[in-house]
Amino acid sequence: MSYDQSRIRNFCIIAHIDHGKSTLADRILERTGVMKQRDMTDQVLDSMELERERGITIKSKAVRMPYVAKDGKEYILNLIDTPGHVDFTYEVSRALAACEGAILVVDASQGIEAQTLANVYMALEHDLEILPVINKIDLPSAQPEVVKQEIEDEIGLDCEGCPLVSAKQGIGIDDVLEDIVKNVPAPADDADAPLQALIFDSYYDNYRGAISSVRLKAGSVKVGDRIRMMAGNREFEVTEVGAYLPLGYSPKDSLNAGEVGYIAASIKDIADIRVGDTITLADNPAAEPLPGYKPVLPMVYCGIYPADGADYESLRDALEKLRLNDAALSYEPETSVALGYGFRCGFLGLLHMEIIQERLEREFDLDLVTTAPSVVYKVVRTDGETVYIDNPTNLPPVQEIDWMEEPMVDAQVITPQDYVGAIMELCQDKRGTFKDMKYIEGGRVLLKYDMPLNEVIYDFFDQLKSRTRGYASFDYELKGYARSDLVKLDMLLNGEQCDALSIIVHKDRAYPRGRSIAEKLKDAIPRQLFEIPIQAAIGGKVIARETVKALRKDVLAKCYGGDISRKKKLLEKQKEGKKRMRQVGSVAVPSEAFMAVLKMD
Amino acid sequence: MKPLSLYIHVPFCRSKCAYCDFASFPGREGEWGQYFEALWGEMEGWKDGLSGCEIATVFFGGGTPTLVDAGYIEQTLARARRIWPFAPNAEITLEGNPGTLTLKKLAAYRRAGVNRLSMGAQSFDDGLLKSLGRIHTAAQIGEAVRMARDAGFSNINLDLMYALPGQTMAQWRDALEAALALGVPHVSAYSLIVEEGTPMAARVASGEAVVPDDDAVNAQQQLALNLLGEAGLARYEISNYARPGFESRHNLVYWNRGDYLGLGCAAHSLVDGVRFSNPATLEDYLSGTRRLDAQRLTAADAMEETLMLSTRTTRGLDMAAWAAAFGTPFERGREAALCRLEQGGFIAISDGFLRLTPRGMQVQDAVVLELMEADE
Repeated sequence: MSYDQSRIRNFCIIAHIDHGKSTLADRILERTGVMKQRDMTDQVLDSMELERERGITIKSKAVRMPYVAKDGKEYILNLIDTPGHVDFTYEVSRALAACEGAILVVDASQGIEAQTLANVYMALEHDLEILPVINKIDLPSAQPEVVKQEIEDEIGLDCEGCPLVSAKQGIGIDDVLEDIVKNVPAPADDADAPLQALIFDSYYDNYRGAISSVRLKAGSVKVGDRIRMMAGNREFEVTEVGAYLPLGYSPKDSLNAGEVGYIAASIKDIADIRVGDTITLADNPAAEPLPGYKPVLPMVYCGIYPADGADYESLRDALEKLRLNDAALSYEPETSVALGYGFRCGFLGLLHMEIIQERLEREFDLDLVTTAPSVVYKVVRTDGETVYIDNPTNLPPVQEIDWMEEPMVDAQVITPQDYVGAIMELCQDKRGTFKDMKYIEGGRVLLKYDMPLNEVIYDFFDQLKSRTRGYASFDYELKGYARSDLVKLDMLLNGEQCDALSIIVHKDRAYPRGRSIAEKLKDAIPRQLFEIPIQAAIGGKVIARETVKALRKDVLAKCYGGDISRKKKLLEKQKEGKKRMRQVGSVAVPSEAFMAVLKMD
Repeated sequence: MKPLSLYIHVPFCRSKCAYCDFASFPGREGEWGQYFEALWGEMEGWKDGLSGCEIATVFFGGGTPTLVDAGYIEQTLARARRIWPFAPNAEITLEGNPGTLTLKKLAAYRRAGVNRLSMGAQSFDDGLLKSLGRIHTAAQIGEAVRMARDAGFSNINLDLMYALPGQTMAQWRDALEAALALGVPHVSAYSLIVEEGTPMAARVASGEAVVPDDDAVNAQQQLALNLLGEAGLARYEISNYARPGFESRHNLVYWNRGDYLGLGCAAHSLVDGVRFSNPATLEDYLSGTRRLDAQRLTAADAMEETLMLSTRTTRGLDMAAWAAAFGTPFERGREAALCRLEQGGFIAISDGFLRLTPRGMQVQDAVVLELMEADE
């Protein structure tokens, strides 16, 4: 098909987790014939094993689908997948910027959820046409009329004639496709202007090098063109352009204004491609980049160590590989007395951190020990010098610190009215400062707080979830540093300080945190031949103590009939277990214990 | 001639006890004959391979060896004697259940050459015996011991169990005193191991049975050490107590890593530095499967085994023998651990032997683990 902007529809799908986004995407791929049914695994777009398992989308992707509509004309539908979690808000925003329309999938029995609302508002900010779709109408509890009314009342979208579908059963998929053709505006981009291609995703391909996923907002690009990254200010020669198939590439001669696709240019380093940046032509550059490039800064750091010291090299290789596909991940070698050689890693947020840890363990088969996450503290020393500290171990001695600052966030919670009290209490517990409260559609409340990031990364999500039974949604944005009364809390095992367990904490929280960690360690450290005192201390002052009692009994009563195989197996197991423990002075500490500092009850 | 010990497994019992996960099958009387035929065949098969040996000890274990007709025991020993010479003072032990003994059977064992009886008494409380699924009463234990004496046995062991759910300290004391009152020269006092898949494990999992905590178990163990010791039965292994000269020589072979050949279903062997075992099910054994998991022990294996087995005994680990066998002093690379363990009261080192203290024996696994690896 020749290039005709009026036949292009660029859209994404917005949905609450579990409302059926991936299944609907699968049905659309199937219906348009780009995926044959026999090639379908569930949730094709979520290709990472982890994504499929967690039911979340981590990286955005795009796929091009030819579709002959009921008007007899052939259209090109570009589905751009968006990540759904707050850690990846930036990527969502970029994906939305590449579309003209968004399908809003709402579960016919659940109705609209707060998290969806946040994404809807973001889509509206990007001037996207929003097409509501009621899904799961096959369920006995489905109430499509009620949900339609809810959408009209709460978001003000017209639901007259909106598709009623069951993605699972394949009902109503044609209606969705026709709705897209009819109601998503065709792009109206200037094909003759200088090239402006918005990078909404990037990743590494072993054969093509680093690849940009782009939406052309103006001009065109073809193989052989010299391109320039406008923010990155680097130039490359285009080796391939094309569109995405669900499981591969479809190279083309050129990409034109309004189209979605990829550009490969033998780019070795993924860091040269920054999501949000604009690609233009070196010899005919656009006057201005498209709005929206923000450098991605890690907000949360933690130490990642191999459980077996011999795996250090493998861990480094694995991080290097992950970094190729994830520009937001940063890492640097560090050493710990307790944990040996490892890496200080930086992440966008907690989910990002968990995902990286899981990918390292699963895709690279590594056993890891991770330390408590930390934010970056600003320390102004008495000699006037300012240092940034992402590892509590590196904090200068107290007498050399003039004052300290901690990163603050603008926190937004959207919640059903009933939980306002519980959330305010939680935010207060977390040293939040109340800023604003607004009633929004559907009996929901938007709460705004200033909050220290270090409280957010502690156990805020878990607490929020349990106190609102999962009904509240939460988003935050870094806002700058504020002076704070912070102290370093150290843990001592049998009198010896364990560097990997130190944390930086607000003075008022130090006592309960110290107590809680000591209790957690008491449970996590197995009884040993000798009694183990556990102490939490600030400076030299002990603020909490617990004791792991000495092992009382550990002996096999009998080696029956000369069968010593059981005893040998038991010892092998214990030996294996011992290898996985870290020696802190005379105390053997299991890997899990280092995570003990993470969670409150 | 090289001393060899024989272990003969008799995998039959009247009914399965609640804690038992050994290879033992209730009923199946129809298969007894077939089983012993197979076992004798297995024994014959070793005739050439183990020709230069002399039998030092024989142990019939089970199951309940006293359940099957005494003729099987007689024949097994007779056939063994045709293959190997027996040492003049060979120790020949038969394990038995007090509920299955008769004077007639006992006389037959005696005639066959059995000179040591090991009886599973377990408890002297009828309620506890019942809850364990034992087929005998406390009274029958005394009766069995008296009958054994009448039949000419003086070397008698009673197995007792502690750490039982619901077992009071008084009940345990009663058991020890009752055993002593019967005048037996050997007592094995075993702490209950709750084995996966047994009815006992299910009871514990459901909360129906509650096992005593470690401190309570240690107190029971200490009581055994005290009472038996006062009566002249000295501890010579973690769970074994005997009057001098009545230690089980057969069991000492296991702990000293002597050669032993296990015959029958689920029997384990250590012969010429190779460990192997027979299949655990009767079906597999009867179908002719033998010698599974054969493993030739490396020097490192031998060191590990020596450490974990010798420290079970009060004789302890012979450090001179270690150095001679492995070419390196035991202490090398273990100085810090030995020092810590000695200061902590877990071990004592004297006249070239490393011995676990009574406290050390309560945590033998952990002590062994500390000593397992020597630093470079």
